[in-house]
Amino acid sequence: MSSVASWEAEYLRSKESNATSAPSFSHRGLSAPLEDDLLIPDVQLGEPLPEETPLEQLTRHWMNERHAPDILPAQDVLLGSILDHIRRQSDTIQLLRGDPSTSEEEHIRIMLAQTEVERVQFVVRSYVRTRLYKIEKYARYIIANEDVQTRITTAERDFASRHANIMDRHFYSSVLQSLPESQAGLDDTPHFIMPPMVTEPETTRAVFAHALKRTIARTPEGKTIDLPKGSLTLLSYAAVADLVAAGEVELV
Amino acid sequence: MSLPHTLRASVTPPELELIACQQLVDIVPLIAMEKTAFISGAYGPLRPPHKARIPLWMAVTLKQKKKCHILAPEWLTVEYLQLKLTQETTQAEFTKLPFRFAELSRVMLDVASDDLQNPDKLRSLLQDLREARQAKARAGLENLEHSALGLSNLSAMEINEIRPFFIEAMAILGRLQPGA
Repeated sequence: MSSVASWEAEYLRSKESNATSAPSFSHRGLSAPLEDDLLIPDVQLGEPLPEETPLEQLTRHWMNERHAPDILPAQDVLLGSILDHIRRQSDTIQLLRGDPSTSEEEHIRIMLAQTEVERVQFVVRSYVRTRLYKIEKYARYIIANEDVQTRITTAERDFASRHANIMDRHFYSSVLQSLPESQAGLDDTPHFIMPPMVTEPETTRAVFAHALKRTIARTPEGKTIDLPKGSLTLLSYAAVADLVAAGEVELV
Repeated sequence: MSLPHTLRASVTPPELELIACQQLVDIVPLIAMEKTAFISGAYGPLRPPHKARIPLWMAVTLKQKKKCHILAPEWLTVEYLQLKLTQETTQAEFTKLPFRFAELSRVMLDVASDDLQNPDKLRSLLQDLREARQAKARAGLENLEHSALGLSNLSAMEINEIRPFFIEAMAILGRLQPGA
């Protein structure tokens, strides 16, 4: 009986958490600048975004992160709740596995639950690794740029600064210490054809944007591009970066 | 490194398949199961011989243990695909197909071909569709300009296929027309 009770409890809990993690659309609306509303009068602002389960949200953020050249805002609350859910589900599985009275039917449930835990873990790992990759790649850019630091968690920020530090020390001890002092810097202003010494995200790179609601993208040159709901457009990441962060556009 | 080289430029077909397998399909279960809470939601109850709607990954797992039959979605039939193929070869734009039709049809044909009607014909129709659409996507490269390109109705797998080339082409166009 205890096993059935724990499945039930999990079911109720998942229903509750769905209710509380509804899209914070109105919240975003409040913090958006006022002129946004005035410039795009033909867009229906009340149109709700499609409802997503936490796993669907994570999958969307995972794909966004994989396709976006820049590092996206951290989803630590969502990630935390999914990790908690994985842990609770794994605990239930362990409990049922150890129970000798578990029936044949229950074995199939356990196997399915276990399969799903592994699928979700894969998504979580790939998501975290993608962020780590970007942090390693842009470590020096991140520690020099406060705007990017607002998008990452404290742990990620510590990791970035430690990584940048280690790389600096390595470059210094292997090469830079033997160079004249004027050439031993790691952040010189680049000469006209040289790439910059600090690797920065290539925000103008093209991405495939799928509009989840009707919205309007603005290119850095000031052009506007209408994105009807459900449309698929290849355009510069810089034009949709804000829309991706707001969840109105997903990268595919 | 934190992310292997092969995964940096784009996502891989198996990853797209993993995402597609979250979609719901209809099955006829051969075993009973109570309604159960999974991480992605609650599914069930399974009561043979009543139809049930569960994620494809679950249907695949059950199918491999011969515990269910997968019911083909309405778009995975010879008539429907034949119609789409005719549209595809007579119209200039892409016909509308499910966004993840390539992954879904592949998984279903792989594990549940005995539940589908005329799987060989389905395979050849899907292949024809794929080739017709691929040719269109390549021809679409002519319309590429550096600011934006509408690609409506392209599917996930097709995007993934053209991604590296299209992105690189856009980057070069952007460098040729700075600020234009």
